[in-house]
Amino acid sequence: MDQEQKIELAHRVALISGIFCGVVALLLILNFWHMKQHEPLESKTIEALVERLASEPGNEELKEEIRSFDLLARKAYFTSRWQVKTGTWLMLIGGIVLAVSLKIYTDLRARIEEPGKVTEELLRGRANAQYWLMMAGGLILGLALVAGFLTNDYLKEYQEMGVVAETGQDQGDVEVIELFPAQDAGTEASDEAVETEPVAEMNSETDIEAATDEASDGEPSGAQVKAATTQVRFNREDFKKNQATFRGYMGLGISYHKNIPEAWNGSTGENIKWKVASSKPGYSSPVIWGDKIFISGGDAQSRVVTCYNRHTGQLLWEKEVTGIAGSPASPPRVTDDTGLAAPTMAVDGNRVYAIFATGDVVAFDMNGNQVWGRNLGVPNNHYGHSSSLQVWDNKVLVQYDTNSKGRMLALNSATGETVWDVERPVHISWASPALIEVEGKIQVVTTADPYVSGHDLETGAELWKVEAMMGEVGASVAYGDGLVFATNEYARLVAVEPKPDAEYTWENDEYLAEASSPVAYNGLLYTATSYGVLVCYDTKTGEKKFEKEFNDGFYSSPMIADGKLYIMDMGGVTHILKADATGTIIAEPELGEEGFAVPAFADGVIYIRGEEHLYCIGK
Amino acid sequence: MIKRIPRVALVLVTLILLTGSFLHAQQRFPKPEFETGYMQPSPTTPEPRAMALEYFDVLVLLAVLSLASWLAIRKRSRRGLLWLSVFSLIYFGFYRDGCICSIGAIQNVALSIFDSGYAISITALLFFVLPLLFALFFGRVFCASACPLGAIQDLLVIQPISIPSWIRKTLGFIPVIYLAVSVLFAATGSDFLICRYDPFVGIFRMDGPFLMIFLGITFLFLGMFYARPYCRIFCPYGVLLGWMSKFSKWHMSITPSECIRCKLCEDSCPFDAIEVPVEQSYRAPEVARKNLRRFILYIALIPLLTIVGGWIGAKSHVFMSRVHPDVYLAELMISNPELREDEENLDIQAFLESGDTFEQLVEQAAVIREKFRKGSMAMGGFVGLVLGITLMNQVVFRRREDYEPHKGDCFSCGRCMDYCPVEHHKSTVES
Amino acid sequence: MDKKDKSRDKGYNRRDFINNGVRLALGVSVVGTAAFTLKRSATGKDYVWQIDPLKCTQCGRCATDCVRAESAVKCVHAYDLCGYCDLCGGYFKPGAKLETGAENQLCPTAAIQRRFIEEPFFEYIIDEELCIGCAKCVKGCAAFGNSSLHLQIRHDLCLNCNQCSIASVCPSDAISRVPVSDPYIIRGSFTSEEEG
Repeated sequence: MDQEQKIELAHRVALISGIFCGVVALLLILNFWHMKQHEPLESKTIEALVERLASEPGNEELKEEIRSFDLLARKAYFTSRWQVKTGTWLMLIGGIVLAVSLKIYTDLRARIEEPGKVTEELLRGRANAQYWLMMAGGLILGLALVAGFLTNDYLKEYQEMGVVAETGQDQGDVEVIELFPAQDAGTEASDEAVETEPVAEMNSETDIEAATDEASDGEPSGAQVKAATTQVRFNREDFKKNQATFRGYMGLGISYHKNIPEAWNGSTGENIKWKVASSKPGYSSPVIWGDKIFISGGDAQSRVVTCYNRHTGQLLWEKEVTGIAGSPASPPRVTDDTGLAAPTMAVDGNRVYAIFATGDVVAFDMNGNQVWGRNLGVPNNHYGHSSSLQVWDNKVLVQYDTNSKGRMLALNSATGETVWDVERPVHISWASPALIEVEGKIQVVTTADPYVSGHDLETGAELWKVEAMMGEVGASVAYGDGLVFATNEYARLVAVEPKPDAEYTWENDEYLAEASSPVAYNGLLYTATSYGVLVCYDTKTGEKKFEKEFNDGFYSSPMIADGKLYIMDMGGVTHILKADATGTIIAEPELGEEGFAVPAFADGVIYIRGEEHLYCIGK
Repeated sequence: MIKRIPRVALVLVTLILLTGSFLHAQQRFPKPEFETGYMQPSPTTPEPRAMALEYFDVLVLLAVLSLASWLAIRKRSRRGLLWLSVFSLIYFGFYRDGCICSIGAIQNVALSIFDSGYAISITALLFFVLPLLFALFFGRVFCASACPLGAIQDLLVIQPISIPSWIRKTLGFIPVIYLAVSVLFAATGSDFLICRYDPFVGIFRMDGPFLMIFLGITFLFLGMFYARPYCRIFCPYGVLLGWMSKFSKWHMSITPSECIRCKLCEDSCPFDAIEVPVEQSYRAPEVARKNLRRFILYIALIPLLTIVGGWIGAKSHVFMSRVHPDVYLAELMISNPELREDEENLDIQAFLESGDTFEQLVEQAAVIREKFRKGSMAMGGFVGLVLGITLMNQVVFRRREDYEPHKGDCFSCGRCMDYCPVEHHKSTVES
Repeated sequence: MDKKDKSRDKGYNRRDFINNGVRLALGVSVVGTAAFTLKRSATGKDYVWQIDPLKCTQCGRCATDCVRAESAVKCVHAYDLCGYCDLCGGYFKPGAKLETGAENQLCPTAAIQRRFIEEPFFEYIIDEELCIGCAKCVKGCAAFGNSSLHLQIRHDLCLNCNQCSIASVCPSDAISRVPVSDPYIIRGSFTSEEEG
């Protein structure tokens, strides 16, 4: 064989093996793509057939069909695996042949080249190399820098929130001590008063006391305004008289007022005594003390607390929440359907307390002077914090379950200092604490995923808990006939006796509320769902008394007043029913705008916060 | 009190709760007492490869390196080196499935230095050290015939084309960055980048993910024209070997005795690693002065580049740290809290199931990020430093009168030796 | 030897000197690194990859993310833990009839064989040739049974990659290096430590 023939042979071998490799590679790629596409072991057809079989279990033909499909799928899978194995071996052999023949071919054809062609001028090459090295180096470092600047350090943001919470707490405490000696003196004074006349505590009369002179003398010269000079002594009757917190007295959805209007119309102005536009949006409900009504609102720019004269609608004061140590520079991301001011405030006659989705808790005196403020740590809450405050005696109760941890706090109402702070093994929740009285002791009852639990008011210690909830708990609890009722969508509605080793007295999962809290009254439990069904159960047995479906869903919670049940749907229509086992509809007045807040009741009037306005309704 | 609740399938939640809570439960169904004398089989547990065999691998490596050194420097046999590389390809490549390899061992060493919890195997350590020590004395004989990745590419050099030096130098900077990044990732326990993107391991195993095989075949195809592309454009171990080899005591030479400057070998090297004689004209006063000025400039630039590199490295640490799965997960859960409800997101669901608190995860991620801050700074500084030195080297002209292999770039494959007429003369005289 | 040659020799000597110095430095640094590493962590032990069944969440990635087309992860049956149930959560689809037809089997490759032993007990044997490590049976067994089915990395198949590609995607960090002397983590009395 001469040189030419050898070259020719090598060329042919190379060509053939090259084509062979190409074909095998193509087949392998096709096989790969086919398997990716069909995934025989995850066959949807079989799944569908099996599902069908579940509904017609006796169908032998169907069974046969499934079996043959299954066999086919398995065959396809294992054949493909065999193909891949064989294909790779063929590729390898083909590749070796190709490489060797190509090598021989090029070696045989290679001619000794004439030496001495300097392909490149050295100096020029070096200069080029410097230029391109600098370019490449600069490009890479530049890209790294740009990437560095464009990346958002979420971790740091998150941790700063945490740090803020800690330092905020410390500073808050320090600030209170330094700037408000008057407050301290005031509380001391009232403590003394309690000691000397313990009966006065239970006295139903409103007890107004002038602050001691020493307190006024010890006034700080700082920019902060001086504290309120009058003190209202804690007294249950005041809380029954004033709808001072979310869902009224103890947060249980019952008003003690009578003579509540049954007819109004927001659009025509029928029975509307006054209406004002709220300055900032907020889903929180109005709270009342004496002649004053308060609402909170907030947007990205600022959070405000507003106070009106409740008889005239005259704006008394509006204060921005500012100067709180540890408050984030920009508010956390919240969804539009929750906003920054979803939690309802609480008022106790001395101060009005507000909490916002920024984690700021603030107290103003009745004249709008900021008494204290602190940040509890920006809540890691993907919709926005919405658990409302409760106030009892000298404690402001905060349910603070976030994605980071479950927490329940009591703050000193006069100073904002932490009285107790307990960590709870629960997930994030949006429900609000309610108060119940068991054997003469007040308990704070909360609901979250997975526990419904009762805490001692004085220490925060957990008195009982029961695993009942799951998911994103939004509805707060109801209490009646010695039973606590908790509900959440996708979980269940349970009735639980508040005692250690609590068990479900009864449970039901037919209609479950998403945001609207249930209310128990006269042996009946009412609960409303976000898809517009109002259901009534017997509190003792769980027997369903009635269910009524309405056109619109409920986010607002029902309130009982004057033997009637008032509940507003999302469209702003209030449904007034007889609070009995029949649920006869009395009237369905319209607000004329959307509404999500819980109405506030006073003698002869009802206050409703709509999307845009605050209405006073009455004759 | 308004919120929206994602429609979670109740069944799935229940299932997860069930699996979660029962995972640690005691046996729900007690083991039966058999009456028929049934013997319970044992589970299948095939033993792993014996450890002694790993030490045998080290021995093989040592033998191959020694033999290669002898073949390159004493015997001067291209043929010998070629067959030795075929052996390495078959043994370390196809038989040992391409793992362990010296290139990947960089990462094991890096991880074991920075993570006290990780114990490196002696085999990996020796695979890292031996080729470097050999390079320090005999040049890159590892590349010549012990590295299976080099061997498979070397055997497929068909029609190499010559590349201008500035392109080579610029591309030659990529391995430095690759080295820095892979050491950073390995040291922080994030990922073994070199192993993940090893293009040939899939071919050695004749099995592997599609991308890996595709990458391997692409490299081999490219290698027909741009000889040993992985070695020259990516191999991070090559950077270390190059440094060692540059100062090697005995390096393979083109000619066995005196170079006659016949220029015959000039085109013989497929890797453009032969340095031609530097003529006196480069030492002309005006050129020399200009070069000296540049030299001083670059010397001054080196610390600056190091600092700037370090600063940029530190700046980009947030970005870099996302390779670590924990950091990634923590950031994902902070930035997209709604994903907690996403049943499809296995990572988040597995974390939520694990019972660790989110705070723990964030804390852990912060620790890793801090490591990354330091590491990225060092990495950036390193890249800046090497850039400065490479630039400086561009203005250093050594007087050279003979054709010599570039000691840093030369793979000691011995191709050029066959071209040297002195060699042929000598061998004919000897025989 | 003329003057020129002398100067050349001198130049080379200086270069040699520098070369020797740098070589020494490089050699010391390589050996130093090695020694440091050795002192710090090399234990002389070798490690292999293994799955901790207690951490495993049966996500199914073992079947898809191994570098091998046929995953080195397969199901292993810890018979010691098995309840030999008639209704096996690892064998049957939820709600299926207790018949061995394909419509009732959970395993996509029919790799589990069910064999009657005595009333009312059944033995379940895994056909390792067919098993693809998808963890469906493991999930089923964990949810409704004793968790006697485990995913394990089979060391006759595992290539012991430097970085296990399944480990880097495992959502529950269940895959880690274990000493080669104790290469399997199977629950039950096969292992010395009983679960807590």
